[in-house]
Amino acid sequence: MNHLQKYINQVRSHLLIILVANNAFLIGGWWYAHHIQHLSDINTLILLGSCALVLTVGFAFLSTSYLVSPLAAVWRAVLHIAPDTADTQAPNLQKIPLGRELIVSLVTHIYQIASITNTIEKIADKEQTNLDHDFIATSLPLPLVVLNKEDTIIFANQALAQYIGQNKTDMEGKNVYSVLDMAFTNEQTFDAWHRNARTNKAVAAQMWERVRLNLPDREQTNQPQFDLAAYYNQDNPQGFETMLVLFDHTNQYAQDDQAMSFVALAVHELRTPLTLLRGYIEAFQEELAGKVDPELEDFMKKMAVAAGQLSTFVNTILNVSRIENNQFTLQLHKESWKDVLENAVSAMHARAEVRGIDLQVSVDDNLPEVGVDRVSISEVINNLIDNAIKYSGTSDRIMIRAYQTKDGVVETTVQDLGVGIPENAVPHIFEKFYRNHRNRAQVGGTGLGLYLAKVIIGAHGGHIWVRSHEGEGSTFGFTVQPYNQVAGRAESSNNKSEIVRNAHGWIKNHSMYRR
Amino acid sequence: MEPNTTTSTAPIGKKILCIEDEHFISELYVRALTRAGYDVTVEVDGQRGLELAQTNQFDIILLDLMIPTITGIEVLRRLRNPKETSPLKAKIIITTNLEQREDIRADIENQADGYIVKAEITPHELVGFVDSLYL
Repeated sequence: MNHLQKYINQVRSHLLIILVANNAFLIGGWWYAHHIQHLSDINTLILLGSCALVLTVGFAFLSTSYLVSPLAAVWRAVLHIAPDTADTQAPNLQKIPLGRELIVSLVTHIYQIASITNTIEKIADKEQTNLDHDFIATSLPLPLVVLNKEDTIIFANQALAQYIGQNKTDMEGKNVYSVLDMAFTNEQTFDAWHRNARTNKAVAAQMWERVRLNLPDREQTNQPQFDLAAYYNQDNPQGFETMLVLFDHTNQYAQDDQAMSFVALAVHELRTPLTLLRGYIEAFQEELAGKVDPELEDFMKKMAVAAGQLSTFVNTILNVSRIENNQFTLQLHKESWKDVLENAVSAMHARAEVRGIDLQVSVDDNLPEVGVDRVSISEVINNLIDNAIKYSGTSDRIMIRAYQTKDGVVETTVQDLGVGIPENAVPHIFEKFYRNHRNRAQVGGTGLGLYLAKVIIGAHGGHIWVRSHEGEGSTFGFTVQPYNQVAGRAESSNNKSEIVRNAHGWIKNHSMYRR
Repeated sequence: MEPNTTTSTAPIGKKILCIEDEHFISELYVRALTRAGYDVTVEVDGQRGLELAQTNQFDIILLDLMIPTITGIEVLRRLRNPKETSPLKAKIIITTNLEQREDIRADIENQADGYIVKAEITPHELVGFVDSLYL
C-alpha cells in the first residue's frame, strides 16, 4: 500500500510539473509574442496554437511511456510465467522510471504466486505419478491398499504384495474382498463400517485390532494377523475412495493365541469335573437341607458358590479364547431387559449372600425390549457383579440400576461402595490381563472379566464405562440397544427364530416347532 | 444353586434315554430326573444308544457327543435320517461340554431340539430344562 501511495504521489507530481511547465511556456510565449514582437492577435494565436499542439503531443507521448512502463513490466512478468508464452523475457526492473518499488513488489508477488501454484501442481502431479510409479511403495514399509468406489483395488504397494505373497499387478483391478479375506473379532467389521461410511459420511477413519487374513494357501495357525486402519474420503478427486493400512502383529498375536489355546485346553478339561462338583454339591444340599447343623448347611452353600465362581471363570477363559480365535459370535434376540437382568442377578445372589452383601436391583418400568445375546450379556452382568463383590471391602450392598437414557439406549449400572480404583488405573481397567496391582495380592481374578465385558458390549453396539473414587467405590455402566435398532443385525445373525436361548443352552420353541 | 422347592409339573412317567459315558454325570442326572417323576434309561455306548432309540418309544433323548463306538453327532444324524430311522416322537437334547466345529453346530441346530452345556447347569436346572419341553 505504501508503494502504491508513493507511486500515486510520483505520478501526481510528474503530471503537475509537466502541466505547469506547459502552461508557463504558453503564457511566456503569449507575453513574448504580444509585447516584445508586437504580433497581431491572429498571428499570436496561430503561433501559440501550434506550439501548444506540439508540446501537448510531446508531453502525451512522454507521459504515456512514463506511466505505462510499470504496467508493461507487470504484463511482461505475467507473460513470462504463463505456460503458453513462457519464452517472453523477464521484465528489466532497473529500467522502470516511475514507481519502481511498487512494480518490484507487484512482480515479486506475481512470481511468488506462480511458484506456489507450480508447487501445488507438481505435488498433485507427483501424487498421481507416485501411485503409478511405486513412490509410496518404496517409501512406506507398511502394506497399503487403495480402493475406488466399486471396492476395486486401484493400488497395492510392494509391502502388501510381500505380506500376502501375491504379485502387485495381480491384485490391482480385483475386488478387495477377493484378495483380502479378513476375519474380525466381532461384527463391527470393515465391511460394515465401509457401508455405513458410504451411506452417512463424507470422510471417516477407523481402526481394528486382531484382524486375521484367511489366505487359501496357509494353515489356520499361520495366517497373518494385524491391526487395520482405514481412511474413507467420499470425494477424493483422484478416485482414491478408501485406503487401508495393515500393521502386522502376527508374531505377537500368535504368541497370545498359543498361550491362550493352552489355557483354553486346560480349562476345558475342568468342565467335566466341574459339572460333577456342582451336581454333587447340589445333591448334598437337597439331601441335607434342614437335617444338619446350620453351620454345615452354610458350608455347603459356600461350596456351591465357589463351584459357581469356578464355572464363571471357566466361561470367561473360554470366551476370551473364542475372541482370540475370531470365533466369538453373538445371537441377538428380542428380550425383556428386566427379565434378562433379574435372571442374571439372581444367579449371583448366593455369591453375594455368603459375603454378607445385599444386591439391590431397581429397573425402570417401560424399558423398550432390547436386542441382546442373552448368554453373553449375562456373563457381562455376572462379571460386573463379581467384581463389585470382590472389591466391596467392608461395604454390604451393591446397587444395580437399569434405565433408558435420553439417547434411547438402555443403560445399566453396577455400583459398589467398596475400595474403588486408583485414578491412574482407571484408563487401563478394561485392558486384557490388566489388574489393579495394589489389589492383586488381596483379591483373586484373571484380569479378563472386564476385558471380556468390553468386547461383548462392543459387539452389541453399546459402550461400557467406569466411574470410581478411591475409598468410595466404583460404578460400572454399560448400554445395550433397543431391539428395533438392531433388528436388522438380529435377523441376519440368526434366522432360526424357533430357537429359544437361555443362559446355558437353547431349546426349540415348541409352539412353532412340530416334528 | 439354591435348592428349588417348587414342585415339578412334568408329566409323570415320561421316558428318557440318557446316552452318557461319564457315570458320575448319568448318576446325578438319573437321580434328579427320577425324583422329578421321569423314567430314565442310561446307555454309555453310541451304537447301542442308537439301537435303543430306534427300537423303543422314548419321549426325550439326552445325547452326549463324546461317547464310545459312534459319536453323538453320528447318532443324531442317523436318528434324523428318514432312510434309517422312522420319524421319532422323541425330542433330542444334546448335552456336551465341548465347543463345536461350525459344521457340527449347524447340524445340531437343524436336527436337535435342545442344547445344554453340562458344566453350566446343575442336575436340578437340567430338570427345569427338560420340564420346559412340556410347558
